[in-house]
Amino acid sequence: MKQEQILISVQHVSKSYQRERGAIQVLRDCTFEVMKNEFLVIVGPTGCGKSTLLNLIAGLDFPTSGSILLDGEPVTGPGADRGMIFQEYALLPWRTVLKNVELGFEFQNREMDAGQRKAEAMRYLDMVGLGYAANKHPVELSGGMKRRASLAMILAIRPKILLMDGAFNALDSKTKMTMHQEITNIWASEKNTVVFVTSDLDEAVKLSDRIIVLGRNGEIDAVLRNELPRPRLGSAARDPEFHHRFVAFRETVMNVIKQDAGLRTCRVA
Amino acid sequence: MANQNGGNAAGFQGKLLDRVFYVTGVLLFLAVWQAASSFKLFGADFSESFSPVAAFSALLEMIQSGELVHHAIPSIRRVLTSLSLAVVVALPVGVLVGYFKRVEQLTYVAFQFMRMISPLAWMPIAIIMFGVGDVSVTFLLWLVAIWPLILNTSHGAGRVSPLWVNMSRTMGAKDVGILRKVIIPAAVPDMLTGLRLAVGVSWIILVPAEMLGVPDGLGYFILDTRDRFRYDQLMATIMVIGAIGYLLDSANRWLIKKFAWKL
Repeated sequence: MKQEQILISVQHVSKSYQRERGAIQVLRDCTFEVMKNEFLVIVGPTGCGKSTLLNLIAGLDFPTSGSILLDGEPVTGPGADRGMIFQEYALLPWRTVLKNVELGFEFQNREMDAGQRKAEAMRYLDMVGLGYAANKHPVELSGGMKRRASLAMILAIRPKILLMDGAFNALDSKTKMTMHQEITNIWASEKNTVVFVTSDLDEAVKLSDRIIVLGRNGEIDAVLRNELPRPRLGSAARDPEFHHRFVAFRETVMNVIKQDAGLRTCRVA
Repeated sequence: MANQNGGNAAGFQGKLLDRVFYVTGVLLFLAVWQAASSFKLFGADFSESFSPVAAFSALLEMIQSGELVHHAIPSIRRVLTSLSLAVVVALPVGVLVGYFKRVEQLTYVAFQFMRMISPLAWMPIAIIMFGVGDVSVTFLLWLVAIWPLILNTSHGAGRVSPLWVNMSRTMGAKDVGILRKVIIPAAVPDMLTGLRLAVGVSWIILVPAEMLGVPDGLGYFILDTRDRFRYDQLMATIMVIGAIGYLLDSANRWLIKKFAWKL
């Protein structure tokens, strides 16, 4: 990789929280890079600091030691260049879906009149297939629809980087498949960079360019390049040769995670 | 508002049935009132003039003479003035208290202490500070309206999900944007609840407050009718106080229905 292609650089990042019974170390000396237009997936057991890592990149929290560089500049706080999609739905309940998507334009005081805002917001709602629900309130939406609305809301601000924290957790498998197709399409057309946190290995293998396995102790266990050819969804997935490679790669990732769990058991014993 | 048993029947017929029950309730109320006067429950000498029939004819008389308007307008004006002043102070204070934990800690004891004091206890102080008259009454009403507004607004602002704030920040929002687009709208339902409580308690306190030596208002008029032995007019005034209070509360409920979002 050439130097100018590096977009995010995470260098020796550690993070610990002070609790009543002493400090809890969540991340330990994590170093990796995210390339421009890369789809990077971070997997690992629950509670290993995946979400913390994403919060640090978003600038919502800061490392205890180490640094995070964005285009070579240290992250000093949140910014509209890094759109974050949270594990819970963050839609404002008093606004319609359309008005939620327009929120970003209002925050950024873009020079747009009401009609332009509406048209632009509709474009993104259509992109996630939610145009028909533009005038509904969040309380009227199903879980899958809320995900789509959150996605449209963040996409509308055209972030360079999409940070997705367990964004498709708790969706039924059919909705999840649709969302995988949509995020892949959007990523391909908008040419943004995605850092995607999940504990679903199938999802990780389907979407990623690279997979980072974060261990139980907050260290990076492995960085694995996903060599599976795209497209990987729909009819492509039914090819036996592809399927074989898919399962093999998932096995590789699984083994790293198992080894991590095994290590921990040994240490305790 | 729905019936406890069976609930509201659907459709036009059901709505009609609901109406019948509301109207029957009012008629029952009037019947109990008439019975109380017929059986001389208000005392042997005056029960006649306390009856609903006497009250309604006194009401007509007061409307025709202009007395009703003459006393109702200042009362409504005082309540609305003090409410507006209370809103202007309470909303910003409530947002600060609700949003910043330290401000809440600073003010908690003082506010909880102050809100438990009947505003009528401040009466002598109000008169020393502002003299007898409109300003004292408005001050007392302001003092009673401000606490439910502050406490409810702060509750609303305190409920703002950190998720909404974080999301807004990653969407490029500045502090002012977050305040205007997230925190204040999030607190609107609680502000309206606070307003409803404030209106209720102000209207109740208005009557004793207007007994402080102002020359008009419904509270003043109560004392006036007593001094003139016009118990029919007194009863009519009580009815008017209840009716205006009911209308103010209905207006509030309409506001809540229209502007309060629900989760």
